[in-house]
Amino acid sequence: MKILVAVKQVAALDEDFTIRADGRDVDADFLIRDLNEWDDFSLEEAVKIKEASSEPVEVLAVCVAPDEADEALRKCLAKGADRAVRVWDDALEGSDPIAIARVLAAVARSEQPSLVFAGVQSSDQAFASTGIATAAFLEWPHAAVVTLLTYTPGAANAVFRRELEGGLLHEVEIQCPAVLTIQLGINTPRYASLRSIKQAAAKPIEVKSLGDLGLSGDDVGETGSHSRVRRMYVPDKGRAQLIEGDAAAKAKRLAEIIREFKGESA
Amino acid sequence: MGYTSSARQPVRDRVQDLIVSRTDAVTRILFEAFPTAEVRLFYALGYTAIAIFCWGVYLQIRKYRRGAALHLEGTLGSRFGSMAAQVFSQRTVARRDPKAGAAHRLIFYGFALLFLGTATITLQYDILAPLFGIRFWYGNFYLAFSLILDIAGVALIGGLLYMMYRREWLKLPKLDYARPDRSPGDPDFDRPQYRREDWAFLWTLVIIGCTGYLLEAARLVWLQARPDVWDTRWWSPVGALIAAALRAVGLGAHGGGVLRAGLWWFHGLLALVFIALIPYTKVKHIFTAAGSLMVKDPLAAQRLPLVPASQEAPGVAKITDFTWKQLLNLDACTKCGRCHEACPARAVGAPLSPRDVILSLREFANAALESSTLPDAAQLSVHGKAPGQVAMETLWSCRTCMACVEICPVAVEHVPIIVQMRRKLVEDGAMDPLLTKTLQTIHKTGNSFGESKRKRGGWTKTLPFKIKDARKEPVDVLWFVGDYASFDPRNQRVSQTFATLLYEAGVDFGILYDGESNAGNDVRRVGEEGLYEVLAGANIAALAGATFSTIVTTDPHSYNTIRNEYPDFGGKYQIQHYTSFVKQLFADGKLKVTSPLRVRATFHDPCHLGRFNKGYEPPRDLLKLLGCELVEMGRSRDNSFCCGAGGGRIWIPDPVGAEKPAQNRIREAAAIPGLEVYVVSCPKDLTMFEDALKTTGNEGKFVVKELIELIREAIPVRSAEAACV
Repeated sequence: MKILVAVKQVAALDEDFTIRADGRDVDADFLIRDLNEWDDFSLEEAVKIKEASSEPVEVLAVCVAPDEADEALRKCLAKGADRAVRVWDDALEGSDPIAIARVLAAVARSEQPSLVFAGVQSSDQAFASTGIATAAFLEWPHAAVVTLLTYTPGAANAVFRRELEGGLLHEVEIQCPAVLTIQLGINTPRYASLRSIKQAAAKPIEVKSLGDLGLSGDDVGETGSHSRVRRMYVPDKGRAQLIEGDAAAKAKRLAEIIREFKGESA
Repeated sequence: MGYTSSARQPVRDRVQDLIVSRTDAVTRILFEAFPTAEVRLFYALGYTAIAIFCWGVYLQIRKYRRGAALHLEGTLGSRFGSMAAQVFSQRTVARRDPKAGAAHRLIFYGFALLFLGTATITLQYDILAPLFGIRFWYGNFYLAFSLILDIAGVALIGGLLYMMYRREWLKLPKLDYARPDRSPGDPDFDRPQYRREDWAFLWTLVIIGCTGYLLEAARLVWLQARPDVWDTRWWSPVGALIAAALRAVGLGAHGGGVLRAGLWWFHGLLALVFIALIPYTKVKHIFTAAGSLMVKDPLAAQRLPLVPASQEAPGVAKITDFTWKQLLNLDACTKCGRCHEACPARAVGAPLSPRDVILSLREFANAALESSTLPDAAQLSVHGKAPGQVAMETLWSCRTCMACVEICPVAVEHVPIIVQMRRKLVEDGAMDPLLTKTLQTIHKTGNSFGESKRKRGGWTKTLPFKIKDARKEPVDVLWFVGDYASFDPRNQRVSQTFATLLYEAGVDFGILYDGESNAGNDVRRVGEEGLYEVLAGANIAALAGATFSTIVTTDPHSYNTIRNEYPDFGGKYQIQHYTSFVKQLFADGKLKVTSPLRVRATFHDPCHLGRFNKGYEPPRDLLKLLGCELVEMGRSRDNSFCCGAGGGRIWIPDPVGAEKPAQNRIREAAAIPGLEVYVVSCPKDLTMFEDALKTTGNEGKFVVKELIELIREAIPVRSAEAACV
């Protein structure tokens, strides 16, 4: 019995960042990287199932990223993942969530897990589509935004709960294998002590290429994607000013501003 | 078998002859008029008592040996010397409780002399006389011996009676065994068995002492006709007085003989029972306290133990993970309650008393490690809520302020015990979610504020001069700024002031800017040893890239770990807290007080500067130099009361509604009439006490200031430039 947990190393902005020369992302020097918060919860959910199980359960953390993401995978190993797989090829650069999902689905096909967990979304790009797209490629049942899960390894079905609008709860039974995207708060992720992270450094991270998964460069990257980031930018800050004086003066100033805004006066 | 009356008859005859012929041959005949069978019985009982004693000692030693190995620094000789100095001076017992110290001194010396007296008699009667025919216990020696032992008995009984008075009538809170971490009704709540043991101990010794005197008096009455006995009776003055009283109420020689025989057995049996029970009762502190003092680590709280490379899991999970020394520490505790009294967590009602942690673990060790076979590993876990276990709420209540370690008269080292147990909790993630978050933040950013590394030197930007980057150019003084002084806005102002003072004094100094990380002192005391190793390693590497002659720090926490703990990781530096450094600047004339402050001030000793590193004087010298009138709080210097921020507690919210240690402290200061300034010399103190000043409603009555700010006030700004600070 195996649970596959798709994880991502997300980026947070440092103080005073700059946008990359091509204008499509932040300069990597100004990013602080960490394991995606949602993935922390989905990994914990998998490890909890493993710890409560009487039969052996393997938790496999999978990440589609270059080697800088090894740090995030080590954290997963430190928290109880049994194996870590990282898929990378330079052709993956520029992949959208659909292309990433294609890769994850290929890993799932070769690993044959009973469950695939993904975070509801990533904290940096927030497409919230990787998990569900993976299910689509696998043609497996899926559910999004799971807030409570009951699953006994070996069982044919898993039962989970979702929160609906208006204070309603949804209790759903789903056939395995299935893909679930996990919501924050489903559990309390454990603390990975530095010692356990250091020990995890000794565990291997399996690196796979596209070829290992039967994919080609055309399946991923910009050619394999359905969407493309055009630019990333900081919007101009809105301006506000207090107009003082009597009604006539205020009206005059307001009219000037409107004209300036329309580009009528120089 | 030893001496029997029949076997020694010739000796006794000779003694009798001597008494008749020479008055200076006076002595006391052992077992006088005892039938041989009774003497044999007594020896049989004596050997039985010694056997029970030895078995008990074996059990204790086997228990300690079941603890983890530990290599001690220093020689046995120097350790023995310092132990003997503490034991014979009884200095540690008298600290902060001179009356108890005086009474204990009487008991100690009284008991020691009486023991030596008994040993002297045994030496002659059972060893030297039968083997070599050497006898010395007669004549003038005997008479002086009698006098000294009579006085020793008075000392012993006097000391014991004071202790009884103290327990029964003084009602000292520190002698109340009610636990802050258990509620009434809990079987473990106030440990009544300890109260019974205390009283049994006191009464047994008092009765042994009193029956000794009665026995002495009865013998005098019995043998009143013998001049060698009767004429020398005032050499045992207490016995002689009681003998006079007994005669006055009509006791004759025959009655004296009967009384003597009965008392002899009562006194002797009680003494044998006492000896037999030493290793099983609190009396064992005679040995365990001395042993604990002998293995005392003078830097127990200042320099926490490394995790050996061979150790599988960090910290203490099972009772057998404690070192043999720590198991001995547990047995040394006499429940004197000084740590209970000094603990800031206990003072504000937190579920922690250092005394109860020690006693719980001791009960656990006794139950688990005194049996012939060790229980299963699962039954050795010291974490939890069962009797003998320590709850995580208790461990997380500790501020690692060292108040307990400082005052313990028998060198129990609570702080490393607590931190070792926390290491296990951290490994299991059993901690407050906010603390988890903070540790992750520190790992990610190198500071507890979650600010970008790049911003660490941000506070220097508003200064009219540039602070050297010690990574890029050599400096004389490297200033280790620390997290709070770098990122907390209130403390940034203090840092700017300090920088200006150094600049004006012409000190060649620099900082590490974003090369500096959290020093790790508190991370280590939380129990996150892995993260501490990362932080210490990062700072040591950054310091290795800088050229400087000495480190000065404004943060006592950084000061402690760099001074005492970095050497274990290869970082050996000369380091000073700013108070001693600035004092030297004044002494060298580089700084001069130009407008003395006429304020009434009190000084709060930061734990890590005072107790941890004995920096009591420099801040006080500076305050006097500035012209302040220094009024001490009741709890000062080694008894300073922690602000509550230590041991990582600054990252854990205090319970809502309960008093915080800082509030308790501010209330103490507020009782000083006319107090104007509450002076601190630690960034965390500034934060904690400014908050407590407001929340206790003392705002406006006096102010909290960093000593650096007072120095600034006494040295008005020279240059117009610096005025913009």
